[in-house]
Amino acid sequence: MAANGPHTGLARRALSPWTYLRRNPRRIAPLFAIQALVTCLLVLIITPTNAFEATAEANIRPLQVFTIVSPRLRREFDEELLAALDKNPHMASRVRAKMLWVRTPMIVGEGYAPLIALPQEVRGAFLKRVGLTLTAGRLPEPGKDGAALHEAVVQARGMQLGDTFGQLVDRTDATPGRFTLVGILRGESRLGLADLEYASQPYFVLARQDPFQVIYALPGQKAASDAYLHAAAHEDGTEALRVVDDAFVRSRIEAGLRNLPLVIGFITFSVAIVVALVIALLNVIAFQVRVDEFGLFLAIGHSRQRLVVKLAIEAFLVALLAWGVGLGLGLLGVWAYKVTWLEPRGILMHVVDARPLLFSISVPLLSTVTGAFALARRLHRMDPVAVIQRRGV
Amino acid sequence: MSAGELLLEAIDVVLEYHDGTRQVRAVDGVSLSLARGSFVGLVGPSGSGKSSLLFALAGLRPPTKGTVRMLGKPLPARPDASAPLRRTEVGFLFQEPFLVPYLTVRENALSHTVGPEAIERVESLAEEIGMASMLDERPHRLSGGERQRASLLRALANDPALILADEPTASLDQATGQAVMAVLRRQAKDAGLLVVTHDPAMLAGADRVLYLRDGRLGEGDA
Repeated sequence: MAANGPHTGLARRALSPWTYLRRNPRRIAPLFAIQALVTCLLVLIITPTNAFEATAEANIRPLQVFTIVSPRLRREFDEELLAALDKNPHMASRVRAKMLWVRTPMIVGEGYAPLIALPQEVRGAFLKRVGLTLTAGRLPEPGKDGAALHEAVVQARGMQLGDTFGQLVDRTDATPGRFTLVGILRGESRLGLADLEYASQPYFVLARQDPFQVIYALPGQKAASDAYLHAAAHEDGTEALRVVDDAFVRSRIEAGLRNLPLVIGFITFSVAIVVALVIALLNVIAFQVRVDEFGLFLAIGHSRQRLVVKLAIEAFLVALLAWGVGLGLGLLGVWAYKVTWLEPRGILMHVVDARPLLFSISVPLLSTVTGAFALARRLHRMDPVAVIQRRGV
Repeated sequence: MSAGELLLEAIDVVLEYHDGTRQVRAVDGVSLSLARGSFVGLVGPSGSGKSSLLFALAGLRPPTKGTVRMLGKPLPARPDASAPLRRTEVGFLFQEPFLVPYLTVRENALSHTVGPEAIERVESLAEEIGMASMLDERPHRLSGGERQRASLLRALANDPALILADEPTASLDQATGQAVMAVLRRQAKDAGLLVVTHDPAMLAGADRVLYLRDGRLGEGDA
């Protein structure tokens, strides 16, 4: 007898969903194309929404190295506040500073990269700590309006050495005063550097630029140092410091993006429902061509349940393949978008992002469910005798 | 199994259906039996109820009245409930071949089988009916006669106890029709064979020929 593997495989192949899919590419092409296209579009739409987070992440990366504080209720760091800072047992050192922001265009809206004004004598050590190197030009001179910006920010704003920026040049700019680009920095932290003496001129005081202190914690004690700064209080119990640390900025970013997943989820789910209904309709149309096949299978004794499972697996395999291909095409498109459009504008984006994967999976799942349901309903109502007799006429 | 074993028995079967507002009695009190090794022909004019009776005997149409017994057991009322029995014990042959277009002849035949032993059976049957060289062809490459032989292969692939054929030679020329009938008659030595036809020439060798008119049965010698 032929009770062996290949022969059993032959018998199984007759009703295998793969056999149908492999041998009827034209029939499944519309189903495949629609689902792949929608998945691809969802990836292309959803992935770039991480650009804001990715760019903001690079902008706040320096805050993993240091923390910035400013007086919460006073105009200056007086003796009492400075004494409170110096009592921090986890602090390695502190540096006087001012913190400004340089606006950079994003896909939608704008992002802000920090521009820190520091005394000349500490700038070298500061750049070393945050992992930045000067790649062109020079560092700002004392009392002058020079600024060294990160190369991505320079690229995003389309600037060149010698260009000027700030509200005194363009009143719509976010950076107060007037600065001249004298140096370009490179490194993972998107940080700019200016001179504290210049940034302390009366104009900047009038522009309400608060005084800051850059706090360096002892190795491995940044969290404890930040906790100390948060807890610092005046005698009357009011908070003494406004602490700008990694957690604070991150929470602000998250608050700004809080509703984004909801909006994306709503759009994706709406698209998935429409696609699923279209797929169900196309499945029913494609099934019409196979009425004889299923009428015969029912007549010769195949169970409806088995045939429903066969159809459901076929629908699922098409949806899964289309999802995979759509995902691949989408990622390719996102990569091309990043390389040709975003990177030249200094905008960061993660090509591989979990959200498009998670959101777009609703397309094959819903399509399979609605497609299989529509086909199961058709199959349930099918009378094999009617099929056979109609054909026989 | 033994020759003469009663495979199929219809007792006073009535089959009615609605055609719009009209109620049609397609089969009217038919009783018949089919034993292993016997060949029964069923003839009658168009619309006499031949196909309806065949579908009732196969369990695909539950009788309005009466009983159908297959292999000694009454068929369940729901066609789906009798599906396993059709799959294992019945071989169907229709007027049209009803081959699945994207399957090969071999896969079409195997779609009606259970168990791996069917593979060898399909190959030996294919040899017998001259289809061995076409087992891996798809139906669109076959002639009309070859397609009907392919459907014959499928009907016999599960080594059925009962072969039910509805106008199996209607779309074939005389010679091909005779060839198909010859294979069916050979198979009937181990099974029961019921052939519905309007062509009495195809019933040569039948043990009995039944005449159906207006749903009622009459009988004559073959």
